[in-house]
Amino acid sequence: MAVAEPLVHPGRTVVDVSPLNRVEGDLEIKAIIEDGKVVAARAQAVMFRGIEIILKGKSPMDPLVITPRICGICGQSHLRTAVHALESAWDAEVPPNATLVRNICLGAENTQSHATWFYALFAIDLTTPRYAGHPAYAELVRRFAPITGTSYRGAVEVRKRMLEMVAIFGGQWPHSSYMVPGGITGNPYLTDITKAIAILDDFRRFVEEVALGCSVERWLENKSLADVQAWLAESSKHADSDLGLFLRYGPELGLASIGKGPGRFLAPGLYDEPDSRFPGRPNERRTWFKAGFHDETGLHPFDHLKIREDIARSWFEGYEGGRHPWEGVTVPAYSPENHEDGKYSFAKAPRYDGRSAEVGALSRMICNQDPLVLDLAAKLGPNVFTRGAARLHEMVLTLPKMREWLNAINLKEPFYKKPVEKKDAQGVGLNEAARGSLIHWVVLKNGKIDNYQVITPTAWNVCPRDSLGNPGPIEEALEGTPVADLNNPLELGHVVRSYDACLVCTVHAVSGKRVVPYRVGI
Amino acid sequence: MAELLWLQGQCCSGNTMSLLDAEQPNVLELLEEYRVNLAWHPSLSLESGNQARDILDGFVSKERTLDVLVVEGAVATGPGGTGHYNVFCGRPFKDWLSDLSRVAAFVVAVGECACFGGIPAAEPNPTGATGVQFHKGTRGGYLGVDYRSQAGLPVVNIPGCPAHPDWMTQTLMSILVGRAGDIVLDEYQRPADLFAGLTHDGCTRNEYFEFKVDGAFGEKEGCLFGEFGCQGPLTHSSCNRLLWNRQSSKTRAGVPCFGCTEPDFPTFDFYHTKKGLGGIPTELPLGVPRARYVAMAGAAMAACPPRLRKKLIEGRS
Repeated sequence: MAVAEPLVHPGRTVVDVSPLNRVEGDLEIKAIIEDGKVVAARAQAVMFRGIEIILKGKSPMDPLVITPRICGICGQSHLRTAVHALESAWDAEVPPNATLVRNICLGAENTQSHATWFYALFAIDLTTPRYAGHPAYAELVRRFAPITGTSYRGAVEVRKRMLEMVAIFGGQWPHSSYMVPGGITGNPYLTDITKAIAILDDFRRFVEEVALGCSVERWLENKSLADVQAWLAESSKHADSDLGLFLRYGPELGLASIGKGPGRFLAPGLYDEPDSRFPGRPNERRTWFKAGFHDETGLHPFDHLKIREDIARSWFEGYEGGRHPWEGVTVPAYSPENHEDGKYSFAKAPRYDGRSAEVGALSRMICNQDPLVLDLAAKLGPNVFTRGAARLHEMVLTLPKMREWLNAINLKEPFYKKPVEKKDAQGVGLNEAARGSLIHWVVLKNGKIDNYQVITPTAWNVCPRDSLGNPGPIEEALEGTPVADLNNPLELGHVVRSYDACLVCTVHAVSGKRVVPYRVGI
Repeated sequence: MAELLWLQGQCCSGNTMSLLDAEQPNVLELLEEYRVNLAWHPSLSLESGNQARDILDGFVSKERTLDVLVVEGAVATGPGGTGHYNVFCGRPFKDWLSDLSRVAAFVVAVGECACFGGIPAAEPNPTGATGVQFHKGTRGGYLGVDYRSQAGLPVVNIPGCPAHPDWMTQTLMSILVGRAGDIVLDEYQRPADLFAGLTHDGCTRNEYFEFKVDGAFGEKEGCLFGEFGCQGPLTHSSCNRLLWNRQSSKTRAGVPCFGCTEPDFPTFDFYHTKKGLGGIPTELPLGVPRARYVAMAGAAMAACPPRLRKKLIEGRS
């Protein structure tokens, strides 16, 4: 039974970071600090738009336009997920060409997102005066300082060019709705494909010259921490690349010892295999990055039926305990801070098999059994550093695959096959955004949406406690984090940003901006 | 140096993401060459927590002059008028907007949500969302009909979901190079130089529209107005004049225009043309009388050249 405890008492300091920015949408973190360490933390989401409520009663295709607007950063991932939910409900067949184009465009969105995360959201923190004593500080500032950093400027340009690839196939980025159940709306010219190849090569050049200091293929030979250490020693180009700096100095700056989190990793799978003709059938769907759930006992098959959303500590009402999203409801019930109901967030609390789980590139690489990331996680554990390394590794790994997909498009074959629409059906859309698991559930009745529920990656990572009092992953990851300067709790920012939390994308919906006083208690 | 502050209400950050795709100037050039100090931006700035709050307080107390306030996202007024559906920096976002709009020389609303309420304000509007100076097509919104910024202008609306990067950067440029006086605002306070024409203008599928040849998904050919609910001939934008990401546009890629620069977006039942008597679309190209449209469509179909009924490239899907 949770017992309310006064927020402030002797020996404790409450640090309120409000807003915590650069998490793509703002977040407020309230951390209780004793003896220079976080003893408990709360991540509060306080922006609610009610998108699930707005979708009720609308036409089945409307989520294709509405749900990408949940998040301007991973809008295309929402589109893919909304389309997938209908393909599941309608049992639609998808021509390989359509899957190829979707993968190429999702790959563009995800790889540029990883680059944006590193350069625009995360590495900036390495340039704060706190690290001025570090021998590499001047170099970190020269490369990573916002606006002026040389790599920062380069990244801003290449991310923009990479997104042109989405516009070539889909019309624009952000927020096109060119994927539809059964395929895509357009039909590319040969010259669209050649231009996309040139754009991909452009991005690859930046990755090789600036981020890696070696070819993509050379980096991908690294299968273990020892390999990475040998790679760093092999050439000064490697060691002095942006990734080289991160790998060498990240641990020195303490990044490998903070932000452990729950140690459970969830991934519903990403990038459908082009010959997986019925991706909407959960048992037949095959993906390039495999689905799975990894906990202390190892890797398990992913099953969306094991997901529940809990609202005990969320500003919602309507049920007790957890509910599967097909039965989910979204009824907001805001109460002021410190209200006896203990609610403090507009994020619901998703749980897999009753427990919280981390999502994102680290989870994806672990569930995909990527040898390098598995070894990093085994040797160093999950933490801020490993999460960043996994994200950058995934970015590199995806680039040659995108070229394979571009090469595989057959211009003589169709890009769309009209599905047979069903008036009464339910479906699940399984996907991953750059920042992790993204799932939509739809229930159709009489040709209209009877229920639409979304669990975004950030809902998994930033969620509040559940009815058992167990914290969300970021809340758990913050516990134990040392904070050297209460007026500038930089370490908290490192931990939260390591999850690439995209706050706007939490539908129920965080764009959370603050954290209320925290109650400790068993 | 012009002080620019960018705030986000109920939004998806899509306009910020779009802004980063700008060219001539790109974002960095806009800031450096046109002497803009980006005082704070939720995604781009270094400052968090109290440091960010100090910056906002400095503007509210007029210690610093706020030249341009850019607002992205709708203004939540619920629940029960409290604004607690969107709290920012320790206060309801709407209260920050009240304070900062009083001191700003110019207020620019970017994106559909800030201009007109957008998706959050769609029925049943669960959070009491509204636009900065409009609620959908009705003047007023959060700041009210009579609001004027320090420079004497109403809120400048750059709608769209998201707004095109040029719409934002070139409007800011107009202010920065001293041409704010030349900005002509239409009935929805949109700059006419960007929103006088229609999305339809410049669409590569225009010939199919002229001769009433309907398209289908997965094709290069055909018009999306007759069957797929394309709002291009009814929507004011320069999407097909300026193109997106320097490459294309939704309609060019076979995606119907959803009308996202007009105040009533989202209208729902997308990808579907509503039809009335005789299968004639209930919404016709802007200003065209029904009887004339029927006559024109009949004549156009009769005049349709056979090449428009064939594949554009033989042997392709």
